Amino acid sequence: MTPIQWGTLMFGVLLLLLAVRVHIGIAMLMTGSIGYVFVAGFDPLMSYFKSAAYARFSVYDLSVVPLFLLMGQFATHGGLSKALFQAGNAFIGHWRGGMAMAGVTACAGFGAICGSSLATAATMGQVALPELKAHGYSGRFSTAVLAAGGTLGILIPPSVPLVIYAILTEQNIAKLFLAAFIPGILAAIGYMIVIAIVARVSPADAPAGDRYSWAQRLQALVETWPVMLIFAVVIGGIYGGFFTPTEAASIGTVATATVAWRSGGLRGKGFLQCMYGTAAATGMIFLILLGADVLNVFLVLTQVNVALANWVIGLNVSPILVMFVIIFIYLVLGCIMDSLSMILLTIPIFFPIVMGLDIWGLDPESKAIWFGIIVLMVVEIGLITPPVGMNVFIINSLAKDVPMKETFKYVMPFLASDLLRIVVIVFVPSIVLFVLKI
Amino acid sequence: MADILVTEDTTKYQGIALALDKSCKLLAILGGLTLVCMAIMSLWSIVGRSFFSSPLLGDYELVQMLSGMAVAMTLPYAQWIGGHVIVDFFTAKAPIKANALMDMIAAVLMALFSAVIAWRLVVGLIDLKSTMDASMMLNLPTWWSYVPMTASFVLLTATALFTANTNLRKLLK
Repeated sequence: MTPIQWGTLMFGVLLLLLAVRVHIGIAMLMTGSIGYVFVAGFDPLMSYFKSAAYARFSVYDLSVVPLFLLMGQFATHGGLSKALFQAGNAFIGHWRGGMAMAGVTACAGFGAICGSSLATAATMGQVALPELKAHGYSGRFSTAVLAAGGTLGILIPPSVPLVIYAILTEQNIAKLFLAAFIPGILAAIGYMIVIAIVARVSPADAPAGDRYSWAQRLQALVETWPVMLIFAVVIGGIYGGFFTPTEAASIGTVATATVAWRSGGLRGKGFLQCMYGTAAATGMIFLILLGADVLNVFLVLTQVNVALANWVIGLNVSPILVMFVIIFIYLVLGCIMDSLSMILLTIPIFFPIVMGLDIWGLDPESKAIWFGIIVLMVVEIGLITPPVGMNVFIINSLAKDVPMKETFKYVMPFLASDLLRIVVIVFVPSIVLFVLKI
Repeated sequence: MADILVTEDTTKYQGIALALDKSCKLLAILGGLTLVCMAIMSLWSIVGRSFFSSPLLGDYELVQMLSGMAVAMTLPYAQWIGGHVIVDFFTAKAPIKANALMDMIAAVLMALFSAVIAWRLVVGLIDLKSTMDASMMLNLPTWWSYVPMTASFVLLTATALFTANTNLRKLLK
């Protein structure tokens, strides 16, 4: 058998293993190993395993991932989500649907110091759901708003999936973070427009809230200073080249820990919960990373991804058509898989294809950054699509009186705004790229 | 991602389950504290180099060693709380026993692979110790990091075997 045939066969085996409930990381580890044995032999595999785990877990650039997760945990326990929501509410709460919009701005603000969507959705859900309910917002609409708003957690930097993409494709993390910023803001604006429309079509779902005086507004805004300061130092520091992402995340971790400590969030079981939460997320991500590593070694040995890329490029079809096929595959996968597994599984295959295509005459680096942002937005959609939209699950676990079906129904307009944004960015890459040229 | 989904389980564990619960949590806390140390050390290094022009020697390699250890220590806890991701789209409506069988096989596979990795880590540790492999700047022996990593993979194996046994009981019920 040729390496290409081996590659295709093992990919089929991988999908089969996934379908029968084998852990994603282990399924990758297993198919990668089997393929490795047949292509290179058993002894090389055993020798590779001697150093594989240490080599993967001790990569300097990857150390930013557990730090971002720890930072997110401390931020969750620091009461910052409440301050953000109050500030948004003081300014725009009296608009029709204004409190829901405040929920979106608060999610965006929290996303600026937290790299995970689920953490953003969960913490904002705890803060905003009771307030929205008290002001007459319907449960189905509030849950949908916060599930969608939660996706801003990974879209607005820092973002764990973007770090993984940067490492897989050897791109500059700082540039990717900067490029994600405008699409993140556009996403928040898009969600707010959706809320405004829903509030007018069905006023019972989203009434207007109380009006606040300017003094109250300014005071509420002042309360959010730790978020602004931490974001400015972390993201500004990374982009300005003052420190590495790991160092920036270290500063952010110590800063959010201080905020959480001062607010009393680390008292009692608070600190242990931060440790457990970080451990659960870190362990989950790095087992998949370890599996993906072995699978990638096998891919490199067989060159199956390069062959596939050459085949697609040789088809001579329109590059934009190829892009939409890739986006479609992500949307389908997003219904059954989590975002990181999707990125780790598909980027080694899709990235060479995209880099081989001539899209809008972009240079390789711009193309890589643009594609990264598109991938980030598409996998983030998987968090709110049925049947396994994780964000919807989390928000619904906080509002048990709302049927999941109702939430999914109200998520649809937000999904439409996501898809529209993706199509626009596919056709106008400069929305993502212009900030890099300033 | 399983962050935040973590809730303190109130079930009273006994015997092996209690031991596993305690050890997984202990390693998770140690892993978290290692990360906190890593963050404080990086901060120290930044402050040192920007204000006192005395950068911390070997901060890169310390981050590498510490993150290698910290990450490995989180793996057993993630398995203990069922945090490692699976695709349950195709089997969500399958009979409970069918899922228990598949979950048992999956846990056995995890135990198998983590046992192999633990074994290879020990072999790697012995190799590194005999060749006196050490880090560039601080001359720290590389095999040090392998000790907590091996312990973590051994505990991961034990936890996965326990999960397999739990599913076996569901199957036989």
